[in-house]
Amino acid sequence: MGKLWLICIASISILLPFLCNAFSPETPTDRRVLVLLDDFAIMSSHSLYFNALKSRGFDLEFKLADDPKIALQRYGQYLYDALILFCPSVERFGGSIDVAAIVNFVDSGHDLIVAADVNASDLIREVGTECGVDFDEDPSAMVIDHIGYAVSGTEGDHTLIASDDFIKSDVILGGKKIEAPILFRGIGHAVSPANSLVLKVLSASPSAYSANPKSKLSTPPPLTGSAISLVSIVQARNNARLLITGSLSMFSNRFFRSGVQKARSQTKHEKSGNEQFLTEISKWIFHERGHLKAVNVKHHRVGETDEPALYRINDELEYAVEIYEWSGTSWEPYVANDVQLQFYMMSPYVLKTLSSDKKGLYSTSFKVPDVYGVFQFKVEHQKLGYTSLSLSKQIPVRPYRHNEYERFIPAAYPYYGAAFSMMAGFFIFSFAHLYSK
Amino acid sequence: MPTNLNFEMARSLVGFTVLLLFLSICESASFFQPISDSHRSAAVELFSPDHGSLKSLEETYEALRTFDVLGIEKKPDVTATACRLVSETVGSSSSTLKNVFYALKANSIVKCKINDKAYQGIITRLNAAVDGARSLPDFYYSVGGLVLVKGSKGDVHLADADGIFRSVKAFRQSDGRWRSSSSNPESSAFAAGIALETLAGVVSLASPELDQSLISTLNNDISKLFDSIEKYDDGALYFDDKLVDGHDHQGPLATTSSVVRGLTAFAAVTDERLNIPSNKILGLANFFLGIGVPGDAKDLFNQIDSLACLESNRVSIPLILSLPSTVLSVTKEDLLQVNVNTVLGSNAPPLTVKLVGVFTSGSKAASLVESQELVFDDGTGMYNLKNLPKSIDVGSYTFVFEIVLHELEHEKIYITGGQKKVPIFVSGLIKIENAEIAVLDSDLGSIETQKKLDLAGQNAVSLSANHLQKLRVSFKLTTPHGLAFKPHQALLKLRHESKVEHIFVVGNSGKQFEIVLNFLGLVEKFFYLSGRYDIELAVGDAVMENSLLLAIGHIELDLPEPPEKATRPPPQPVDPYSRYGPKAEITHIFRAPEKRPPKELSLAFLGLTFLPLLGFLIGLLLLGVNLKNFPSNAVPATFATLLHVSIGAVLSLYVLFWLKLDLFQTLKLLGFLGVILVLVGHRVLSHLASTSAKLKSA
Repeated sequence: MGKLWLICIASISILLPFLCNAFSPETPTDRRVLVLLDDFAIMSSHSLYFNALKSRGFDLEFKLADDPKIALQRYGQYLYDALILFCPSVERFGGSIDVAAIVNFVDSGHDLIVAADVNASDLIREVGTECGVDFDEDPSAMVIDHIGYAVSGTEGDHTLIASDDFIKSDVILGGKKIEAPILFRGIGHAVSPANSLVLKVLSASPSAYSANPKSKLSTPPPLTGSAISLVSIVQARNNARLLITGSLSMFSNRFFRSGVQKARSQTKHEKSGNEQFLTEISKWIFHERGHLKAVNVKHHRVGETDEPALYRINDELEYAVEIYEWSGTSWEPYVANDVQLQFYMMSPYVLKTLSSDKKGLYSTSFKVPDVYGVFQFKVEHQKLGYTSLSLSKQIPVRPYRHNEYERFIPAAYPYYGAAFSMMAGFFIFSFAHLYSK
Repeated sequence: MPTNLNFEMARSLVGFTVLLLFLSICESASFFQPISDSHRSAAVELFSPDHGSLKSLEETYEALRTFDVLGIEKKPDVTATACRLVSETVGSSSSTLKNVFYALKANSIVKCKINDKAYQGIITRLNAAVDGARSLPDFYYSVGGLVLVKGSKGDVHLADADGIFRSVKAFRQSDGRWRSSSSNPESSAFAAGIALETLAGVVSLASPELDQSLISTLNNDISKLFDSIEKYDDGALYFDDKLVDGHDHQGPLATTSSVVRGLTAFAAVTDERLNIPSNKILGLANFFLGIGVPGDAKDLFNQIDSLACLESNRVSIPLILSLPSTVLSVTKEDLLQVNVNTVLGSNAPPLTVKLVGVFTSGSKAASLVESQELVFDDGTGMYNLKNLPKSIDVGSYTFVFEIVLHELEHEKIYITGGQKKVPIFVSGLIKIENAEIAVLDSDLGSIETQKKLDLAGQNAVSLSANHLQKLRVSFKLTTPHGLAFKPHQALLKLRHESKVEHIFVVGNSGKQFEIVLNFLGLVEKFFYLSGRYDIELAVGDAVMENSLLLAIGHIELDLPEPPEKATRPPPQPVDPYSRYGPKAEITHIFRAPEKRPPKELSLAFLGLTFLPLLGFLIGLLLLGVNLKNFPSNAVPATFATLLHVSIGAVLSLYVLFWLKLDLFQTLKLLGFLGVILVLVGHRVLSHLASTSAKLKSA
C-alpha cells in the first residue's frame, strides 16, 4: 500500500509540470489563472466577474501585484495558463515578474487580460505598448463623450460612457446580440494601424475625445472619435489571446448590476451590457470559442481510398479535412462556408472553397492541373476572431508516361488504312508476281 | 527584519491608497448613499443556499442577520435549514464552542424551539467554558453564548463577573489594542472589538453590579483605540491591523466591523457616556457606506451588521445626507432634492436642511446665494429647493448644506457632520448663434465666399480654396442667462478622402468662437494632400444639454505639389472586416487539345486509302492474272504455301504490333518468322527460278 502511494506521488510530481501549459488542443481543459490585484478589495468589488470565470472551471489564484512571492514560472515551466492584471496603479511587480516576463509569458502562447484605469502606472502602460496599444499619455486624461454618455443622476461630467459600437463578430462576442450599451469609465487607447493583430472590440462614438475633464482643453486631444478604442483584443501569431482595456471599473459588480440609459435615447436598460460583453469576450480570450483544429487530412484519386505518393496531371482527386472548434468542454464541428483549399506551386493553380457536411468534414474534388512539378495542398483559413489554420502537404505531380497517351486517333485512320491496304496489296502482289503466267 | 516590516507596511499603505482610489472611482461623488435596494438584491443573490454559502452555522447566522437587518422576507427553506442546524448543534454535546455560539446567535433571529433540557445543558457547558477559557476567542464564544441564552431564557448570571472581567482585561495592551491570547504577542484592533463585545457581555451578565471603576478604565482604553483610527481623504474612517504575518490578517472591513460591534455592544450596557467624538462615528458610517455593494457574502454581512449596530447605537447615530440627483437641468426646471436618512435608510427625526452656500467649482469666490432653508415634502420625504436661485447659471457648482435638528435632545443622539459639500452640475440648453463658415483671401482678408450655418439642423456646405486662402469658422455660444459659455470640447475636424484627420481647437474671445485656418502655414501639416476635406464641428460640455457633433460639409482644397522630402501621411487603419474573408476561386485553365478533323472526314479518307488497293485488284483481273505457275509438285507447293503463310504471319504481326504488341515482342517474333521466311522463300524462289530456267532452255 505504501509503495503504491509512493508511485502515485512520484508520477504526479513528474506529470505536474506538464499540466500547466498554454492552451493546446491536447490539453484544453487545464486552465489556471493568476490574478494580480492592487488590493484584495477588488476581489469583493469585482466578484461577479471572477465568479463567472470560476463557474466555468477556471482556477483563479489571487495575489497582490507587489507580492514578493509571485512568479509566472518555476524551473522553466509556467505555473499558469493565463494572467489577469487588475492592478492599474502598480509601479513595480513583486517577485520575478516584470514586463519582459509577461511578454515571454504571452510569447509562449498564454493569455492575458490587462485592465488599466485613470492614473495607470507607467508599468501598465508599458505592458499595453508591448501588446500593441497606446494609452493616452496624459495621466489624468479620461474618455469623455458629451453625446454618448450614460444618463446618471450622480455622474455629471460625462466620463461614464455608454458605448455600443461593437466589432461585428459572433465568435468574439457570442451569438446573442448585446442589447444594452456597455458602461465604461477610464482611459482610451489607440491601436497602431500597422499592427494587423490588434482589433478594436469596443470603440468610442465619433463624438468622444480623450482629455482631462477638469482642465481646459488648449491643444487638440491626441485621441478623438471612433479612433479611440475602449476595449481591444489581440490574437498573436501563436494564438495567444490578449484583452486590453482602459477601465477596471467596467468589470466591477457595480457596473455589472447598474442599469443604463444612453443620453438622447428613451430606452432604459435594466442592466448594462457589461456582464454579457465581458463574459462572452472572456470565453474568447480563454479559447472557449474560435479555437480551431484540423485533423484527418485526406486526399486520394476519385474512386480510390488510398493516398497516392504522387499524382499524374489531369487526375481527378478528392481532398477532405475535418475541422473542429473548442467549445470549452469538447470539440464541436466547425461550420463555415469559406474554408478554401489551394493547390499551390509558387502560386495557387487551383483555389477552391471546400463544401461542408455541417459535421466538421470539409471536402472537395478537382482535376490536377496539366502542369507537373511539386505541388502543395494548402488550407490557409483566416477569419476574424478565429485562430488561423495553416495546413500544407507536399505532393508531386508527374506528366503522362509514353504509353498513357491516346492510342488510336481517328484522324490517323487514313494513315493506318494506307499502310494496311499497302500490306494487303503486297500480299496479293506476291501471288501475282510469283505464280502468274 | 525591520526593513521587511517597513516594506510590508509600505505595501499595505499602497494597497489602501488604491482602495481609496477605487472607492473614489466607484463613488465619484464624495457623498455617501444609504443602504438601498441594490443591497437587498445583492444579499438575496449572495446568501442563497444554491450559492453554497449556507454550509456552516456561522454563514447561516450571517445570512439570517443580513436578511433581518435589510428586512428581507426570510425564505422558509433558509429558516428550516437554520433550525435543523441549530437543534443539531445545541442537542449534541460534541459540537464546538464556536458552533454553539453561532447556533445561539442564529436562534436569536429565527427563534427555533429548543427545549429547556437542552438549554440547561448549554448553560452548564458555557459556564464551564467560561471558567476554563484561556484565550480571547474562548471568552468571546462562551460569554457571548451565555448572553444569548439570557436573551431567550432570562435567568443566567455570572457568579464571578469581576474575575472574568479582569482576566479578559489581561489581554489589553497599552495602545488600546488587544491580544487574542496570552501566547500571541501581536495586538490587534480586531481583537479589541471582540474583547469589548465580550466585556459588554460580562457586564450584562454580572448579577451583582460590576465595579464601576473597572468600566471607567475601559472607557479610557476605547479612546486610545480611536487614536489609532485611519482616514481616507473623503472623510471615511477605519481601523486596520498591520500585521507582519498576513495569516490571520482580517482586512480593514472585518477589523472596523469588529470594533464597531464591540463598541456599540459596550455602549449599550454601560450607563456612562463614552467620550468618543461623534464625528468619528460618522466617519465609520461613511467607511461602510463608501464600500458600495460588496460582492462577497462575508463583506456584505460585515457591512450590513456594522451599519445596523451604528443605526441604533448609544454613542451617536449618524444621519446621512444624500441627493438622488446631482445633475440638475435649468431647462427642465429640475428640483433640487435632498434626502436625510439614517445609514440603513430609515427616516430621520424632525430637522431642517439649510442651503448654506453655492460656490463655483474651482474658484474661491463668495457664495452665489443667500442661506436658505429647504422645504420638506411629506409625499416624498425629501427636502426640496423650489426654484434654483436666479444667480445660478449652467456650470458645475459646490452646494453646501447643513442639517439643523429641531429638538435639542436629538443633538446628543444624532450626528449630522456639520456642513456638507456636494458637487452639483447644472445643465441647460446653450444657444448657438451666428454660425458662419467663410473662405478668405489671405493678403487682404476679404471674404470670398461666406455661408451661414444652422448648427441645429443639417448642413451641406461645399467650398473650395487654395493654399493662399484661409478658412474661417465662427459661432457664438450663450447660456440661458445670456452669458458667455465656454464649452470643454470645441473642436473642428478636417478629414481628407484618405481618412487623414486634422483636429483644431476652436478658440474664443468672449461669446464669439472663431478659428481661422491659414492653409499656407498648414500645407506641410496637411501632407500636401489636395482634394476633398470633410468638415466636422464638435461642441460639447458636461453641462451643455445640446452638445453637438455636426458634419458641416466639405471643402475642396487645392494645395501645391509635395516637394521631394515631404513627409508622407501616416498609414491609416485597415478595416478588419476586409482583411479576412474568402478569396476569389481560381480554376486552372487546361491546355486546349490539338485541333483534329471530324471523325467522318477521317473515315472518308480511310475509305479513299483503300481505293488504290481496289484499283490494283481490278487491274490484276484485267491483266488476267492467274496462278498457273504455282508449283504442282507436293514439296514445292508446300514450301510456296508456307512462304505465303509466313508472309501473312509477318503482316499479321504488324497488325498485332499496331494493336497491342510492343517493339521487343514484335522483333522477337519477327526474327523467328524472318528466318522461316528467308529459308522457305529461298526454296520457293530457287524452285521457281529453276523452273523458268528449264522453260527458257527448253
